[in-house]
Amino acid sequence: MSETKNKVKVHVEKVNKSYGENHVLRDISLDIAENEVVVMIGPSGSGKSTFLRMLNQLETPDNGTIVVDGFDISEKTTDINKVRENIGMVFQNFNLFNNYTVLENIMLAPVELGKLDKVAAEKKARELLETVDLVDKADVSVNSLSGGQKQRIAIARALAMEPDVMLFDEPTSALDPEMVGDVLEVMKNLAESGMTMIIVTHEMGFAKQVADRVVFFESGKIQESGTPDQVFNAPKNERLQEFLSKVMHA
Amino acid sequence: MKKTVKLLIVGLLSLLVFVITSSDVDAAPTPNYIITTDATYPPFDFQDKNNQYTGIDQEILKTIAKRQGFTYTLKPMSFNAATQSVSSGQADGVIAGMSITEERKAVFDFGTPYYRSGIGWAVKKGSNIKSLDDLKGQTVALKTGTSGADYALSVQKKYGFKVTYFNDSDTLYNDVINGNSQATFGDLPVIQYAVKNGTQLKVMNSKSPIQAGWYGFGVQKGKNTKLLTAFNRGFAEIKKDGTYDKIVAKYLGASATKFTGSKQDNSSVLGILKANNGAFLKGLWQTMLLTILAIILASIWGILLGVMGVSQNALFRGISTTIIYIFRGLPLMVLAFFIYIGLPGVIGMKIPAFTAGLLTLVLNEGAYTAAFVRGGFAAVDSGQMEASRSLGLSYAKSMRKVIVPQGLKIMIPSFINQFIITLKDTSILSAIGILELTQTGSLIVSRNSQGFRVWAIVAVIYLIVITLLTWLSNWVEKRTRA
Ligand SMILES: Nc1ncnc2c1ncn2[C@@H]1O[C@H](COP(=O)(O)OP(=O)(O)OP(=O)(O)O)[C@@H](O)[C@H]1O
Ligand SMILES: [Mg+2]
Repeated sequence: MSETKNKVKVHVEKVNKSYGENHVLRDISLDIAENEVVVMIGPSGSGKSTFLRMLNQLETPDNGTIVVDGFDISEKTTDINKVRENIGMVFQNFNLFNNYTVLENIMLAPVELGKLDKVAAEKKARELLETVDLVDKADVSVNSLSGGQKQRIAIARALAMEPDVMLFDEPTSALDPEMVGDVLEVMKNLAESGMTMIIVTHEMGFAKQVADRVVFFESGKIQESGTPDQVFNAPKNERLQEFLSKVMHA
Repeated sequence: MKKTVKLLIVGLLSLLVFVITSSDVDAAPTPNYIITTDATYPPFDFQDKNNQYTGIDQEILKTIAKRQGFTYTLKPMSFNAATQSVSSGQADGVIAGMSITEERKAVFDFGTPYYRSGIGWAVKKGSNIKSLDDLKGQTVALKTGTSGADYALSVQKKYGFKVTYFNDSDTLYNDVINGNSQATFGDLPVIQYAVKNGTQLKVMNSKSPIQAGWYGFGVQKGKNTKLLTAFNRGFAEIKKDGTYDKIVAKYLGASATKFTGSKQDNSSVLGILKANNGAFLKGLWQTMLLTILAIILASIWGILLGVMGVSQNALFRGISTTIIYIFRGLPLMVLAFFIYIGLPGVIGMKIPAFTAGLLTLVLNEGAYTAAFVRGGFAAVDSGQMEASRSLGLSYAKSMRKVIVPQGLKIMIPSFINQFIITLKDTSILSAIGILELTQTGSLIVSRNSQGFRVWAIVAVIYLIVITLLTWLSNWVEKRTRA
């Protein structure tokens, strides 16, 4: 667990993953630097979610190396719970805890994991509610929220642990179009604050605006990656060109 | 709130330990035998109006014990449980109006045969029917499912009578007395005992029972020879000095006396309640105690099994599935007999009926609980667990803080349902002789023959308790939703 301050936050090397006969990830290697915002695009079933979920061990790779923040999480002896405290994740379906209020959702992890006491956790939670612009929802049940509100609370919940890396798996795909903007706004602010972010999304406009790097997944492989300008305006890979022509004209 | 729940559980657990250990005290050191009986068989074994066990068997046994210098603890239960307890070594002897048969001789050693019984027939007092031949064209009243009924049918053609059926002896006797039917067949001592209690019938063959056989006191084959010797010695003595005849005459002699309380007590619901309120209350208390302990322990056990059933560990899941499969598949009564009668032979330790009954309920209701608990947890969206794990919470913490509370909420209606089933299932444990509400009812009915009224009382008590239980559950449910 060397603290090599080489600014590489996430290091992925030769990772493979199969579900039975289905070879979902093929020899993926990728390095992500501190403060970098990486957007992953690609057709359905190409392995984007699987890749993202592997970064915090919700899926285990068959082989290869994954190092997050200096912790080799493919190593059995690594305390995965400790590593996860440092990696926030936002899901397509929000997954807010239905048995808690908004405030309790945000406070749960810091309090349970001994990071903050109750008073400090509540203070922190209220601050976060302010940054996602939902202060007045503190004490309501999560089921009374709209999709957009839910997703902003989910982001606040992940941020309560003060993670170094944030993972987003299609955070706006389940939202009504008019809600998408609010969530993307929160994510944009987060990117500007210097958070290291890995985002799977179909929001190409957002990718162009916010991404430092865009990665194109197809058939379990990274087919192309580069700056938004390179990927969107001068795609070299044939499949990427095909993919872009489909999504851009959709 | 949490503290009081914890306190409550600790309190109930210690109560359980107390119940188990205190009933163990029964097993005193020197020759105190455990004798089983079926106390629903007057005039041999039944409860008198003061809820004391009495009858021909019981008086014989009591007298012999006193004279031969041994003590015993009487365990009344169903006839089958009474005999099996002895053949399995759970109890030392059985006296229950049990006929000596070749089959039973293979498992029991019998003492000196003590009573010659068989089928008897009776007519209305003053009737001019003198022999079976006079029954031609007449109607014979029979109680369904008795050996008397079987016998009557086997000779129906020969004597040319018609038959009519009854479920309850009192109504049957009245039918004969009122002249609707002219005769009845049944166990000879049972009819004699009815006459003794004032039924206006005349027994036609008191001295010559049909298909006669002997009753015997039984111990496990090859065991307890000391007890058997003492019984035989004592029996020879009371036979010789006339005590035996006195006992039999007391129950079957010609002059009528009442063992079963006055007519008034038995002919109205209020009278029955008054005469037996102590017994009903005790039965209710046993039912409640069993229910409450079983509900709490089965819920704890069921939740534990259910959590194991959704565990990440395949071994735990396998164990949970197997236990649920076994104990959901076993009928409650089979399980009760197995634990009460079968298990002691294997572990070499006697298990008190209450403990065996409670264990039975916990295993059976616990398995049902586990099944819906497992289902309830599985019904919680898998995203909840993923979100919790992604924040760094351990599996155990995620279960406790996120999955279990949501799962339990889904399960509340199932829990309430299971509580009510548990209450009803306690009645099955009457078979191993736990004196709960149903067994109390059986004993009272066998004494006063007021089946309809007594069972109506028992049914109403159950309904009241179930209503209270439902209210309580709904109240708790509302509180947890708030
Ligand atoms: N738990 C699983 N068991 C079996 N197969 C799976 C599992 N999870 C994913 N897969 C398969 O792996 C492949 C990649 O899935 P993944 O969810 O990573 O794709 P994706 O790029 O995120 O697609 P989408 O844009 O639709 O979300 C798919 O073929 C999918 O069916
Ligand atoms: Mg996906």
